[in-house]
Amino acid sequence: MFRTIAITGFIATVVGVLLHFAVSKPKFDNVFGKDRPMKILDPLRICVFLMTLLFVEQKWNLVGALRKLVFLVALFCLVVLAITGFVPSVFYGVAIHGWWLFIHAIMAGVFAATMAALAVLWADSNRFDKNYLPWFNTILRRQPKSTLIPDEYELEIKICFWAIFVLMLPVILSAVVSMFKIFGTHGQVVLLDIHRYSTLFLTLLAIIYLYFAALNEMEKTAGR
Amino acid sequence: MNNGLKANTILLTVILAAAGIAYAAEETLVGDNPDGSRATPLHLIPMLAEPLPDEEPNQIYPKDNPALPFSTKATCGACHTYNIVTTGWHFNAVDSNVPAGRIGQPWILADATAVTQIPLSYRPWPGTFRPEQIGLTPMKFLDNFGRQMPGGGIGEMIDKSDSPEETLRANITGNLEINCLACHNTSPGQDMGSAAGYAIQVIRRNYRWAAAASSEFAYVTGETAKLPESYDFREPFVSSDSKAKPPVVEYDRSAFGHNDWVRFDISVNILKQRCYFCHSNVDIHDGATEKWLADEDIHLHAGLTCVDCHRNGFMHNITRGYEGEPNDNNNVLAAHSSCEGCHLNSDANTPAAGRFTAPVPKHAGIPPVHFEKLSCTACHSGPWPKNELVRTMTAQAHGIGVTGTNAKKWKDILPHLVYPVFAKAQDGLITPHKLFWPAYWAAKDGNNITPFDMETVKAATGKVIKRAALSEVKSWPDLKEEDIAKILTGLAENVEGEAKPVYIAAGKLYSLDKAGKLVSAEDKIAAPFMWPIAHDVRPAAQSLGIRRCEDCHSKDSPFFFGNIALDGPVQGQKGNIEMISLQEVNRTFEKWFAWSFVFRPYLKIVTLVCCAVIAGVLLLYALKALYFVARIVVGRES
Repeated sequence: MFRTIAITGFIATVVGVLLHFAVSKPKFDNVFGKDRPMKILDPLRICVFLMTLLFVEQKWNLVGALRKLVFLVALFCLVVLAITGFVPSVFYGVAIHGWWLFIHAIMAGVFAATMAALAVLWADSNRFDKNYLPWFNTILRRQPKSTLIPDEYELEIKICFWAIFVLMLPVILSAVVSMFKIFGTHGQVVLLDIHRYSTLFLTLLAIIYLYFAALNEMEKTAGR
Repeated sequence: MNNGLKANTILLTVILAAAGIAYAAEETLVGDNPDGSRATPLHLIPMLAEPLPDEEPNQIYPKDNPALPFSTKATCGACHTYNIVTTGWHFNAVDSNVPAGRIGQPWILADATAVTQIPLSYRPWPGTFRPEQIGLTPMKFLDNFGRQMPGGGIGEMIDKSDSPEETLRANITGNLEINCLACHNTSPGQDMGSAAGYAIQVIRRNYRWAAAASSEFAYVTGETAKLPESYDFREPFVSSDSKAKPPVVEYDRSAFGHNDWVRFDISVNILKQRCYFCHSNVDIHDGATEKWLADEDIHLHAGLTCVDCHRNGFMHNITRGYEGEPNDNNNVLAAHSSCEGCHLNSDANTPAAGRFTAPVPKHAGIPPVHFEKLSCTACHSGPWPKNELVRTMTAQAHGIGVTGTNAKKWKDILPHLVYPVFAKAQDGLITPHKLFWPAYWAAKDGNNITPFDMETVKAATGKVIKRAALSEVKSWPDLKEEDIAKILTGLAENVEGEAKPVYIAAGKLYSLDKAGKLVSAEDKIAAPFMWPIAHDVRPAAQSLGIRRCEDCHSKDSPFFFGNIALDGPVQGQKGNIEMISLQEVNRTFEKWFAWSFVFRPYLKIVTLVCCAVIAGVLLLYALKALYFVARIVVGRES
C-alpha cells in the first residue's frame, strides 16, 4: 500500500513540477541572455544555474552564510534520508534494514538538528504578508498599509516551508517515541506508518519547495 | 453360573473377539472415536498376551505358568486400532511417506573408542545419516537408543531386519511394540528407568516384556541374550545352561480383580513426568547437574502440561509446536499450537489468542522488524546467552534417567552438546539451537559422503587408539594427527572407486594426500549439527531485550558474538567460531550497529530537543498569526 502511494506520489509530484515548469514559461532569455548560442543546451544551463543556487555568496554576513550552510546540510541530509528510506521500501519492497537503516539513523539526528536551526533562522523571513491574498483583503474590505509586492512564488514557498515544519513533528516524534518502551507491537506498527507517510509528504513538499525556490530565483535573476 | 458371571463372560468374549478382529483387520473400534466426555474412562480390562499367528489373543491369568507378558498391541488394541496409533509422530519415523517436518534432535551415536559422534535419523533431516549407513540394524539401533523410545516404528521391524540373525532372534526377543503405558499411565508406579524398568528391558533385548516391565504391577527378570533359538516364550523353559535365564514376568496378584481383569490407570492427560523420561534436559554448570539448580519451563509453572500444547487425537499426530507446522502436519490444532497460536493469533478469523490464559505480549519498544527476523524462542527460550555456551545433556542423547547409565556423574560424557546457539533456522528466522560437532569416519566421493559402518571403524581405530588412552568419563581420547593418518590408511581398503577415506571432526575434514600425508581443511560437510530448541521458556521478565536493546545490540553481545568452541578429539585443534557466522548476518554491520547504540541515548535527547525547538517556533508563529487574525477580526488591524 505504502509502496503504491509513494510511487504515485513521486510520479505525480515530478509530473506536476514538469507541467508547471512548461506552463509557467520561465524567462530563459532574461536569465541566460537573448543571444546565447545553442539553445539546445538550455537544460544544461538550468542545471548549472541550480548549482549556483547552492553557493554561499560572499556578500552575505556571518548569519546569512550560516543560514545557507545550515540549509545546505539539511538538504544533503534530506537527500540521503530520502534515498536510504525510500529505496528499500519503494524499489525493493522491503523494510529499511542493514546499512540503509544505519545511515538513515545517523543522518536523521543531523537532519533534525539542522531543521531546528532552520526553523529558528528562517521562520521570521517566512512570515505571511497581508498582500499575498488580495482577494481576501477585498472580501474583508481591507486596505492594507503594506506596500510590499511579493515575489511570484513567495506564497507557495512559504506555505511549503511551514507545512514542512509541521510535518517535521510527526516525522521526528514517530521515530523517537518508538525507541522508548511506550508502545507495543501495534503501536510500533502505527508509529512506523506515521513515520513513513509523514516522511513521504515531507519529501514531496520539499521537492515542491525547492522547485518554487529555484523558480523564484530564476525570476529574480531575470528581473535584474 | 450366576447372571453377573454370565454377563462378564459374554463381555470377555466380545473383547477377545474384538481383539482378534483388531489383530486381523482394520475396523473402527470402540476406543477409536471417543464420545467426547471429559471424564477419564475406567480401563478395567483383561490383559491379553501376544497371540500366535492367525489366532486370537489369550487372556493372562495370575496362575499362568509361565506368566506371559501382556501385549499392548493385543490388550490396548482390543479397543483402539493399533495400526492407526502407529502412524503417530512418535512412531512413524521409518515411514518415508511422512513429511520430515522441522529438523529435530537426532539420535546421536557417540562412541569414544571410535572417536565418533554422528547424527542419525530415520527422517530425512539434512545433516543426518540413516542408521543402516553406519551398520545399525534395527536391533543394534534399539541397543543404543531404544531405552528412550516409546516402542513401535523401528522397534517393530526386528522381524523384518535385513540381518538374518536378527529375524531369527526376533522369535525370542519379540518386537518392541508401542508401549502405550510409557505415556498414558498415570500411576506413580510406572517404571521406565529403574533397574528392572522399560529401558533396561530394551537394553537386555527383552522387547516382548518391556511394556509389562514398565507397568506398576509386573516385574521382569532374566534376559533373552543367552537363550537358544529353540526358546518359546509360551512354554516353560528348561535348559542345562545355568546362564540362560529367560525373561520371567511376575505379576502383582493384587492387581488382578474380578474375572482377573486389571485396572490400568490410563489417561489422555499425560503427566509431564512421562514426557520427561525421553525429553529431559539438564545443564551442566561447574560440573553440577542437579535439577533443583534449574527452573522448569514457565508454562509448566503456570499450570500447563506438555500435552496442553503438544496435542493429538487418536491419530497420535502430535503437534510439535513450530510456526509453519500445518504444512507438515494435518493435525487441526497445528496452526494454533505454536507460540503465536496462543499468544497472538492475530490472523485467525475467530479470535483464538489467550488460550490457557496466555498473556498477549505487548513487546513495548521492540521494533516490528524483530518479528520478521527472529523466532519467538530467540528471546524467550533456553538459558540467557553468555559468552560461553552451556554444556547440556538430554535424555535421548545421554540416557539420563536410566539406571546404570549413570550419566549424571560424567559431565564430560559424549556427545558434547552446547546451547543456546543463535543461528538461522530452516524457516529463515534466527532461532536458538542445540549444537554439536559431528565426528566420524567416512568415504568421500566428490561431494558425497558415506560414513563407514561402526564395526569397520572400530576395527581400524582399535589398532591405533589404545584402550588406556580412553578417558574414564567417556569423553574424547587424545587423537594425534598421526593416529588419524594411520586409521585412514587402515580404512582405505574399505573404499571403492574414486572415493577416499576421510575423518570429520570439529569443522575440519581430514584426508590423506597422494603422498599419504595427512591434510586437513575446513569443509561445509564438517559443519556443526544444530536443531532448534523451544524449551525451557523463560518468564517474560527474563526475555532478551527486557532491559535494553544492548541485551543483543552491544559490541560484545553473546547473541551475535558469543563463542562456539570447536569440539573434537584431535590434539591441538582448539578454537572458536562466532555465533554470527551461523546467522547469515554481516559481521561488520552488526559491530557498527552495536556501536551505534552507545550514541542512541544522545540521539534521543538531541532529536527530542530539536522537536521541541521546532514545535516552539511553530507555536510562536501560530500564536502571532492568531494575534493578527484576532486584531483584524475586531477591526484594530488594517
